Amino acid sequence: MRLRPLMIALALLAPAGARADLVYVLNSGEASVSVLDAATREETRRIPVLREPHHLVLTPDGSELVIADSGGNELLFVAPTTGEVLRRVRISNPYHLEFSPDGRFLAVASLRRDQVDLYDAATLELLQRFRPGDMPSHIAFTPDSKRFFVTLQGDRSVAAFDTETRTQLWTAEVGKDPAGIIWHRGRLIVGIMGADHFVTLDPETREVRPAFTLGRGAHTIFPSPDGRALYATSRVDSRLAEVDPETLQVRRVWNVPGGPDCLTFDPEGRIWMTLRWSGRVAVLDPARPDAQPAFETVRVGRSPHGIFFKPRREGVGGDFAQAMPGAVSGTRPLSAPVPPRTVPAAPLPGGATPAAARPAP
Amino acid sequence: MLDPLIRLWVDVSGAVFEGAVQPALYAAGLMMWADDVQEWLDFALLGIVQIVLVYAVCRPLEAVRPVEPVSNRAAVLTDVFYTLLARLGLLPLIAFVLLSSAERMLNGWLADAGFVPPTLETLIPALREMPLLALLLYVLILDFGEYWRHRFQHMFGWWYALHSVHHAQRQMTFWTDDRNHLLDDAIAAVWFGAVALLIGVPPAQFVLIVMLRQLAESLSHANVRLSFGRVGERLLVSPRFHRIHHGELSAGEDGRNYAVLLPVWDWIFGTADFDRKSYPRTGDPNAPESLATGGWLRQQIDGFRELGRALRRR
Repeated sequence: MRLRPLMIALALLAPAGARADLVYVLNSGEASVSVLDAATREETRRIPVLREPHHLVLTPDGSELVIADSGGNELLFVAPTTGEVLRRVRISNPYHLEFSPDGRFLAVASLRRDQVDLYDAATLELLQRFRPGDMPSHIAFTPDSKRFFVTLQGDRSVAAFDTETRTQLWTAEVGKDPAGIIWHRGRLIVGIMGADHFVTLDPETREVRPAFTLGRGAHTIFPSPDGRALYATSRVDSRLAEVDPETLQVRRVWNVPGGPDCLTFDPEGRIWMTLRWSGRVAVLDPARPDAQPAFETVRVGRSPHGIFFKPRREGVGGDFAQAMPGAVSGTRPLSAPVPPRTVPAAPLPGGATPAAARPAP
Repeated sequence: MLDPLIRLWVDVSGAVFEGAVQPALYAAGLMMWADDVQEWLDFALLGIVQIVLVYAVCRPLEAVRPVEPVSNRAAVLTDVFYTLLARLGLLPLIAFVLLSSAERMLNGWLADAGFVPPTLETLIPALREMPLLALLLYVLILDFGEYWRHRFQHMFGWWYALHSVHHAQRQMTFWTDDRNHLLDDAIAAVWFGAVALLIGVPPAQFVLIVMLRQLAESLSHANVRLSFGRVGERLLVSPRFHRIHHGELSAGEDGRNYAVLLPVWDWIFGTADFDRKSYPRTGDPNAPESLATGGWLRQQIDGFRELGRALRRR
């Protein structure tokens, strides 16, 4: 906090014209994508899509943002730096999607056709179609890309798949209406939306254990880019929790009205989250000790769901969250650790760029 | 101009969903349907707005220029019950629950067959940049589909047996629009779903289209001596135009004026009657009395009986 006056002073001295970071927000109830200026918190552009965009993911090389328009039966490939729509690919009802960490595969879950598709990531050739059960929802890969897992909302379970043999390995019951899922240090963590807690699932023994309790409608969980915390949401009790990645103990809980859903992080560690029911995005800085209720909100379109922070400052790629030291969790974990590095600072409001920012913790 | 209204709508529906609907879903163990029910909530809330709007517009018109006096208030009350069921989203919700699994199965089969359902915008890419024109085209295509569904309701005996619940009303008012047999409503939902599968219907536009259509339909059923004039009668279905369709001599296969929103379809297919002085008595002389004056449940049961008779006659 003591750095802030210094940063502002430096910003005033820095050359103008630096490009602001962008935040992409998928308005699932309004058939559009809001593009926010991360510095001014203003919506600068709205990209029309066909029907109902829910989730998005960056391509393994970081060059394209893939937006799944489930009702429109399309994948949109967008240049993350400019927001330009590069191409569209017809795919039936893509809901959640994830690239394997080695970049070879793209898995797509289709909530409204009860199928999971495995594609060749480079050519988008369909390699295998699975019919694992009712309402396939969220996807997570293992770090070695050999397996991936999908929550089945209608079947209280998680299904496991092998990317090499292209077979379904097993299904394990985890609890009512499972939703978000991540790979975390050899285990899976799953949000039990029909209950108030998250569970861990051991992929070898299939043992299910309570992980932590958050609130009604436990939904999604994301690792912070530095790997020092997990952040989990609940949609009925509208809470965000910071969770210790080692012990899975809840460290802090924020009440965030509006139905917090998906999260993304900026290089300063701030959390940007979609609020499904209020048509807004909330920005929360967990570094602030008085963080309740010190979060700001930005109006976007209806029922915002997927969200992605795209840094445009020099030296930080769109995949910075996967490239941070300690990023060994998440839906796209690294197969090997990367060397630590300092994150360049974000431009400040007005277009100026501070000369330095705090290093990644 | 519409932005403040849309934002107000998002805030109100979001607050209702977060404060009341979602906790109820959680308590009932139905969280897996949360996203879908959020869409359904639009129908329910818009239904309330519709009822208020329709009442505010049609009730004064019926008071000032009625075609006939209201002599059977019980029959009107039955229609009010139909309206509340349909417009507060209860029937769409039931249809959704019943059809959801079937829809997922159908989507899976289509994907296996290599068919990716198109949308108008994928068929006509220029429409991606012209949402208003796209909306007009959706209205046009859906209304065309509704015209033919309505014609088939009168053309096939078994289908008219169900549809006669709607036509049996002798005391037609703006409440009569939703007076339909449940099975007839279910067939209509499947019909509409098939059209939607062929052209795709954007969710936000779908809600708007349904609202506009239902407002127009309520007005067209009103007990009011109102014609839209020589030109207007050919552009939009008026109370007079639709009353001819409900006339006693127009029941069953002898129907005229089938259009729901745009009379152009009757014009094109030779079923239009633009006699602007005619305000005939309404009802279906061949229908059982219970379909005219019975309560909601009696009409539903007897509708099934009529359907059985029609099928046996084939």
